[in-house]
Amino acid sequence: MAGMKQKYRTDLSLSLAVSQKDRNCSTQSYLCRGDSHVFPSSPVLKARINEMDWQGQKHAEMLMQIFLVFSAVAAFGAGYLMRDFRLMMLIYAGGVVLTVLVTVPNWPYFNRHPLKWLDPSEAEKHPKPQVSNITSSSSSKKKASKNK
Amino acid sequence: MHSFGYRANAVLTFGVTMLALMCFLASLSDTFTVPTTSAEVKILNINWFQKQANGNDEVSLTLNVSADLSTLFTWNTKQVFVFVAAEYETPQNALNQVSLWDGIIPSKEHAKFWIHTTNKYRFVDQGSNLKGKDFNLTLHWHIMPKTGKMFADKIVMTGYRLPEEYR
Repeated sequence: MAGMKQKYRTDLSLSLAVSQKDRNCSTQSYLCRGDSHVFPSSPVLKARINEMDWQGQKHAEMLMQIFLVFSAVAAFGAGYLMRDFRLMMLIYAGGVVLTVLVTVPNWPYFNRHPLKWLDPSEAEKHPKPQVSNITSSSSSKKKASKNK
Repeated sequence: MHSFGYRANAVLTFGVTMLALMCFLASLSDTFTVPTTSAEVKILNINWFQKQANGNDEVSLTLNVSADLSTLFTWNTKQVFVFVAAEYETPQNALNQVSLWDGIIPSKEHAKFWIHTTNKYRFVDQGSNLKGKDFNLTLHWHIMPKTGKMFADKIVMTGYRLPEEYR
């Protein structure tokens, strides 16, 4: 087991490649977990490597809608009152840029409730059931070992 | 919203939708203006009035067009296209409209104008019906918006008459 941990720790490129592929990973395979021990500390790089968690995504979507609607209303109001079409367009463009900066990169703020995946040592104790030819006796045997 | 590309796409799409809504509202705000315009066209001189080789009548006029179209300009107006048309009736056609002059007014400052000119476009009839003809001169304008619907309107001025004989 120590040997496997060592292999996982040093094989950075493999783990990153896997996490890129399984973005929406929902299985409990140990390969799917966030690599909590291999990311750098700066928030900008964190934003590139980590994805948002589910609550963060919902929050980001809500923020996007609110920012854009507010920008549109503010832009139209200002343009109508000042009788200046160009002003309306400039305010709205500024609002869109602000929204992109706040919502699109995955800031750590959007990753405050990350899902906790199974530790590899735990996953080892409960191997994944075989898919083919499951008979009732073998499935009950596996269930017993799972509840150990 | 689970990846960078997905979120960027969502922001841009929703942003464009909001932009379309803003432009629609800007166009709608145009309908609430009630413009008051005035115009006058004087025919200063009939330069010549001849029958062409192909049998059609042709007139050359010197016009003085003066108008005040400044109330047509809103915050959503790009330019106003103006033209003067001669309108008359012949046995062949119930309505003939011949454009004599046009111009583009780019801004409110240029909207109160006065121009002294010969007709920019030739006043040619379909046939030979212009001798002693009564006609109207109509000033048409098209308000071209920055976004949205284009409105068009006109002022009709009556009481003009061409001479009985060729000159």
